[in-house]
Amino acid sequence: MSDKVLYVAVAGQPNSGKSTMFNAMTGATARVGNYPGISVERTEGNVRLPDGTTIRLVDLPGTYSLTAYSQEEVIARNVIFNEKPDAVINLLDATSLERSLYLTLQTMEIGANVVIGLNMMDEVKKQHIHIDSEKLSALLGVPVVECCARRGMGADKLLEMARQQALARPETIEPLYISYGPDIDPVLEEFTAKIEAAGFMTERYPARWLAIKYLEEDEVIVAQGRKAGPLGQALEQRVAEVSAALQATRNTYPEAMIADYRYGFINGLTRQDVISREDDMRFNYSDKIDKVVTHRLLGPVIMCMLLYAMFYITFTLGAYPQGWVENLFALLGALVESALPEGLLRSMIVNGAIDGVGAVMSFTPLILLMFLMLVFLEDLGYMGRVAYMLDRVMQTFGLHGASVMPFIISGGLPGGCAVPGVMAARTLRSKRERLATIFTAPFMVCGAKTTAFIMLTAAFFPENPTRAMFIIVLLAWAFALLTALLLRKTVIRGASTPFIMELPPYRLPTLHGVLIHTWDRVWQYIKKAGTVILAVSILMWALMTFPELPEAEREAFEAQRRGIEQQARAHTGDGPSGQIAEGLITDALTAMDDAEAQASLLHTFAGRLGKGLEPVTQYAGFPWQANIALIGAFAAKEVFVSTMATTYSMNSAAEIEESTDLSKRLATDPAYTRPVVFSLIVFLLLYAPCLVTVVAIIRETSLGWGLFTLFGSLAFSYLVAVGVYQLSSLFF
Amino acid sequence: MTAATLTLSANMEDYLETIFILIREKTVARSRDIARLLSVNRSSVTGALQALSRNGLVNYEPYGYVTLTREGAEVAEKILRRHEALRDFFVRVLAIDSDEADEAACRMEHGISKHIVDRLIDFAEFVEVCPRAGAKWVHGFGYQCREASISKDTCERCITRCLDEFKQGVRQDQPGKPDVPLKELKPGEKGQISRIAGAGGVKQRIRDMGVTKGSLVEVVRIAPMGDPMDVKLKGYHLSLRKDEAEDILVKKVDTRE
Repeated sequence: MSDKVLYVAVAGQPNSGKSTMFNAMTGATARVGNYPGISVERTEGNVRLPDGTTIRLVDLPGTYSLTAYSQEEVIARNVIFNEKPDAVINLLDATSLERSLYLTLQTMEIGANVVIGLNMMDEVKKQHIHIDSEKLSALLGVPVVECCARRGMGADKLLEMARQQALARPETIEPLYISYGPDIDPVLEEFTAKIEAAGFMTERYPARWLAIKYLEEDEVIVAQGRKAGPLGQALEQRVAEVSAALQATRNTYPEAMIADYRYGFINGLTRQDVISREDDMRFNYSDKIDKVVTHRLLGPVIMCMLLYAMFYITFTLGAYPQGWVENLFALLGALVESALPEGLLRSMIVNGAIDGVGAVMSFTPLILLMFLMLVFLEDLGYMGRVAYMLDRVMQTFGLHGASVMPFIISGGLPGGCAVPGVMAARTLRSKRERLATIFTAPFMVCGAKTTAFIMLTAAFFPENPTRAMFIIVLLAWAFALLTALLLRKTVIRGASTPFIMELPPYRLPTLHGVLIHTWDRVWQYIKKAGTVILAVSILMWALMTFPELPEAEREAFEAQRRGIEQQARAHTGDGPSGQIAEGLITDALTAMDDAEAQASLLHTFAGRLGKGLEPVTQYAGFPWQANIALIGAFAAKEVFVSTMATTYSMNSAAEIEESTDLSKRLATDPAYTRPVVFSLIVFLLLYAPCLVTVVAIIRETSLGWGLFTLFGSLAFSYLVAVGVYQLSSLFF
Repeated sequence: MTAATLTLSANMEDYLETIFILIREKTVARSRDIARLLSVNRSSVTGALQALSRNGLVNYEPYGYVTLTREGAEVAEKILRRHEALRDFFVRVLAIDSDEADEAACRMEHGISKHIVDRLIDFAEFVEVCPRAGAKWVHGFGYQCREASISKDTCERCITRCLDEFKQGVRQDQPGKPDVPLKELKPGEKGQISRIAGAGGVKQRIRDMGVTKGSLVEVVRIAPMGDPMDVKLKGYHLSLRKDEAEDILVKKVDTRE
């Protein structure tokens, strides 16, 4: 028995602490959040019990019910039907026992081998509520384990109970029988008999469950039934009759009666001394917090202050470790430089790989800080309140309260990333709002774009870069919302989706949890720096190095340089003004070097491409050097800064403090007038999402939509940039 | 007021009732329709109408429309009320199906004294109002007649629930109070859900979240921009837009401070 592998699924409603418990049991790092429906992905983990049994655990998506309302619910029940887990651990939020049991009943109606975990027992006790778990166990006939996932309490016992249940599991489990009352029960009996007689889909589903689903008019089951045989049609016909009769006599619907009776059944359970409240403490701490935090006037003010504070902390506090990382890479560059002989290899490693990856890595501390705060607020339950407060605003722009989260993750607070942002849009049920969100979320100032904007604001708005940055973020939001509205009025028209969301009580996240989830996201970022960005950096380096300037032209520059030196010497001779002349000569030589560098860059593939695009981009005012950087940045936005650095300081790139040096260099470049800067910033904000994001969008939606997002936002940003450039040219 | 003391034959009462119903539904009564509804021939109708006319209950001229005098209308209304009371009692309390109940009421309404009819009405009302009974109780009886049997277990569960609801100051199916959309409740106000209009998709989700008939909801607050609303039910907070709250009908519950 000891080498047996048992398969156990973990089910639960959103915010039941299911993912936390899953982590506690497996030690894995499943993503957890206080935002309903966040764990859409399939997470698995293995646990080895002390007796040697191995349990393979699968984390089902958090669902309130097992209808066909959302993809998650269908996935959850399909796992139970198709993969037939040996046991299902159902985690309940004991502070909301009645609603939590709703899922339990349905899981038991399916005929799953259920073990109940009563989570948040610590809160229950604090609220002076007494829950008799033994009585609940006796009434339902399944094991009930009291636990507290935050402290990892009860995890072992749950696993042990799941093991025992799984081993004691009979061939087939009698599904839980709930009476649905005099109106529904006879119909269910009639249906069940017909289904059993015809063997209608019974190889997969229990007959009575099918009957219930037919009465609930479950889309998925009804569609399957149509393919399964003629009985499907007959049952649908009967459901229509029953439904019409119920509406006429009782002014209700079968599905409503079923929900009523399920809750009635739960009521019947909980009234039998399962739950007793010493004192009806209606006003608990969470309500008190909400009284202020979601207050009509105070709420939005607090929200804005909080966002600005996060912003401020990230960029002031984050600047220190950012400097350290930069220095570290500078040191690394210097080391490699001194170790390797001058040549292409050294140039590739230093100018390509180290500079490129270093520019990106130096932002890791900022991203880490931002995510740390974001994850904390999310796990705390504040993000749900943000969605609640902003829903009305979002609705005005054809979006949804749940669009706020993808926006924020994408960089609504600078430092996010559009890839997880696009994935977070899964919580949106309506396709239209989801597409509008996915299209506009990449407009936000992601961590990569942040690097570019910090460089640009430092160069052109040195008096107050933080304020300039804040304005850019506001611009990002404004563009995202207005574009969403535009899309919802044209390409994706349609009614708005309802907003039904639980506002879970505030729960102080555990340090462990916050660290795990922050690290999860930061690691994604670092991984990207080590792979995609490394590759792109080297590619960009190659594009900007080859083909090299022909020998003849280099000779010409060399000759000119010699000419300057000779001329200078001939004029001044060895007079007292010799020292001044030395300086003049050096200046002239440097200018010559720069000219050569520009010429050789223009000669490369990248240079030709950038120059070639000038006829198009001149209307937006971009210099050709920026064109190169923008092309490179399509692969990964981080590349913008390093490419700009290379285009302007190529050979002297060994002096690493790139972004500050670059800022100074750009600030003095006459090509960058105000209109150019404005148009460049707007273009950088809006133009095509980076390659990785486009791939994510295609995966989340379709190839067509991915390409539409790519070219659509490219065209849109170009038009906006041209407009900005032309308009502001009138004023500056 | 003489009509109250007037005793009419069962036959005559049926005619009066039929005329009353016809006038209510079609605004006029014709002897042809009366004959059809009562399944008698036209000549009997003519005879009956003449008799009723003599008693001052109907205005009748041959080949014309039949109308009721004020007295006639009063009598007819009483008969009809008796009929309906009986039928309701059969259907709602005794759980008899409505056709059978109608037929029985027709036969019984003439032979039963006013006193008994009044008592039956009172009883039916009492059943609906009394916290120990209520429509659910009656419903339970209907169920019991058809299939289930009473066990100590179910009784205990039922009584505790009933007492609990009574203590909370709420009872299922309170008659009289109007249904209002949840949307119209102000922060701090409570309601008991009486019905959710519509089915499928979102409506089912709302029900799954515990917004079911009979449960209590409290509007906690409204979001800063005036939508969505934050309601509390079954011990947790749910946020929904006013568009959805429109279709959730509740009876306001007095919040006793």
